[in-house]
Amino acid sequence: MKFKINRDHFVTGLSQVINVVGTRASMPILSNVLIEAEGDTVSLTTTNLDLGIRARIKAEVSTNGTITLPVKKLATIVRALPSNDTTVELSGQNRVKITSGGSVFQIMGLAADQFPPLPTFADQHNFSLAQKDLSGLLKKVAYAQSTDENRYILNGVFFNFGEGKLSLVATDGRRLATAEKTMTIGEDEGGSLILPAKTVAELQRLLGDAGEVAITFNDRQVSFVTQITKNDTGLVDNIRLVSKVVEGNYPNYRQVIPKETVHRVDIERELLLECVGRAAIMTSDKSSSVKLTVGNNEIEISASSTEFGEAHEKVAVKYDGPEVKIAFNPQYLSDPLRALSDDTVHFEFKDDMSPGVFKNKEDFLCVVMPQRLS
Amino acid sequence: MSRELPTFVHLDADAFFVAVERALDPSLRGKKVAVGGRQRGIISSASYEARACGVYTPMPTAQALRVCPDLILVSGGMGRYGEFSRRLFALCETVTPLVERRSIDEGFMDVGPCGWRSAEEIAAKIRALQQRIREELDLPVSFGLATAKLVAAIASKQRKPEGFTVVAAGAEESFLAPLPIGVLPGVGKKTEVLLKANGIVKVADLLAHGDAELAALLGRDWRDWQRMARGEDDSEISLEREDAKSYSQQETFAEDAADFAIILRVAKGMLDALLPKVRADGKRARTLTVKVRYPGMGEDVAGRSLAAATDLEGPFYALLESLLRQAWRRRAAVRLVAVRLSGIEGEESQLELFGENREREERQRRLAEAVDALNARSGGRVRHGHQLGRGKN
Repeated sequence: MKFKINRDHFVTGLSQVINVVGTRASMPILSNVLIEAEGDTVSLTTTNLDLGIRARIKAEVSTNGTITLPVKKLATIVRALPSNDTTVELSGQNRVKITSGGSVFQIMGLAADQFPPLPTFADQHNFSLAQKDLSGLLKKVAYAQSTDENRYILNGVFFNFGEGKLSLVATDGRRLATAEKTMTIGEDEGGSLILPAKTVAELQRLLGDAGEVAITFNDRQVSFVTQITKNDTGLVDNIRLVSKVVEGNYPNYRQVIPKETVHRVDIERELLLECVGRAAIMTSDKSSSVKLTVGNNEIEISASSTEFGEAHEKVAVKYDGPEVKIAFNPQYLSDPLRALSDDTVHFEFKDDMSPGVFKNKEDFLCVVMPQRLS
Repeated sequence: MSRELPTFVHLDADAFFVAVERALDPSLRGKKVAVGGRQRGIISSASYEARACGVYTPMPTAQALRVCPDLILVSGGMGRYGEFSRRLFALCETVTPLVERRSIDEGFMDVGPCGWRSAEEIAAKIRALQQRIREELDLPVSFGLATAKLVAAIASKQRKPEGFTVVAAGAEESFLAPLPIGVLPGVGKKTEVLLKANGIVKVADLLAHGDAELAALLGRDWRDWQRMARGEDDSEISLEREDAKSYSQQETFAEDAADFAIILRVAKGMLDALLPKVRADGKRARTLTVKVRYPGMGEDVAGRSLAAATDLEGPFYALLESLLRQAWRRRAAVRLVAVRLSGIEGEESQLELFGENREREERQRRLAEAVDALNARSGGRVRHGHQLGRGKN
């Protein structure tokens, strides 16, 4: 194996795959990146057995070959190389020589045949959509995933292809966010999956703002193949991410979305976000909620705690219903407000024990359960 | 900075647990009564009549029954004591907002902000409070009034029960002087023996000894001791109530228990006693830990957390049996079982989205609150079904 590669391209390629490493002591090869040189590309693959990523970069390959090298160490070396012109070659049994300018590194690796291959699987569902659309959907819901390991079904984002749209849902049992995008889905083509949180984070990193992403899945696995459109990065073809799905039935989330609107106000999104952030300064571990009091054409955002004191702020809104005061975890208010880009959001509510709902004009809603005040 | 009026008030309920039992059951009045577990238990409170007989706290129950064979034992219930304590301090707070709870039956008040102009006026107002506590709660409480917390706390102990001692401004040192050295806080049994061996028997003796001698005896804090002896203490009322980090209860069995059903019933009874306290404090708990101790003093523990904190019995009942089985891994007879609720969360509770159980939970909470209210009035007569049938003790 021998190839010449641009150092910056090499850095870019490694940075796509470096987050996915295994930590099992019994399989040290999982901390390595599989390097496969062939034709005019070098493939870089990492896996932790639950999740694997493959990126391709352009290179001048003079001798085809494969090897695995410790990915963290390799990335540190490559970032530090003095010259853009870098040569990588097999220099002995499982040993690689990297030359750049006057600098020479010899790194020990492991044979490629021990590296677990990225799974290929029988496809049941195939969909394709714009990367920026999927990226936008994920941003609108990902924060609502549960991190409580006792609720592993909720440790991910639910993808549902059906009824002429892709719906993404995430919930931690206290708030629920859903976003959707219309797309053509054939009669029998619908399906759903739960994408694990770790994969969601990697996917969000990989998705760009141009090109398509192809999604393929069955009951156990899913793959995302993102087209490379920009070509100054050295990345070529596509990046392929293969992941296990969270197995199990996602809860019936539709039942917790209020069927009817009792009261509604329209609020300037950024202003509300700022007000919530200011009020939250006065919350404490013991009094952790921010109160929204809606009445007589204004909404008051307030918080108080015996330890610190209190904060109040009023914002004019159009509302002539009865006064309603609801307490929320401020994070649950600011997360959806931050994830949106609309100027105005709708806030729907009923009373202090019923969920509040944020909506934008078309594709998004977030249901937030209040906090009971004793 | 010493005050010109005795505005620090220390209150100390007399034989509190016994007094509560008597308030609930007047037939216990005037009798030798003690609160404590039978046989292997410990006396936690004894009436003055029982004390006259030689019963003290803490004393093993078996020993108490030997020195005082006609002692009436009451098994006690923390729920009702907590409730009486709450009501006791609530009455104090009608006098001044500056009330510091030191324990379930003891605390300080600062009546400085009340604007009373003479020691006589202060004494009259606090006498009225003492009277009101007697009338409304039927509890005897001793009071000490002084210009400093330290002196007030010592004063309240001078004439129990239902004592009332006022130490006038300027009289602190002469008040303390003749008292035995042991009244000062921080003087434990060992220190007391040491001091007495060196001729320091009364508080006044601290001031009569030379500096070098005191320093050698008491270490570098000796000046603080002299300040105490003069009744100097500039500490203020502390309103920051330590929030409970956990709620726990334990019971030593009269006879080592090997019957799982009995151990479980006792443990459930503890949950029944703890959760009303959690509710009364407006808190919720997330983690349940069960401990069993064997006669050889070895012990095993098991614990688990709920997905969300609660103040209801139901979710913990569901965990209790399996935790107890897990903890009781030696399958040998058990001497003691303990239940602890931790992961305490505060005033606000986050509501859940997926609540097929939400309405049921609301109903359970209403029921629990109704039971708590009944028990507060009746002194714990409303019990859960699983505690009926075979009587405790």
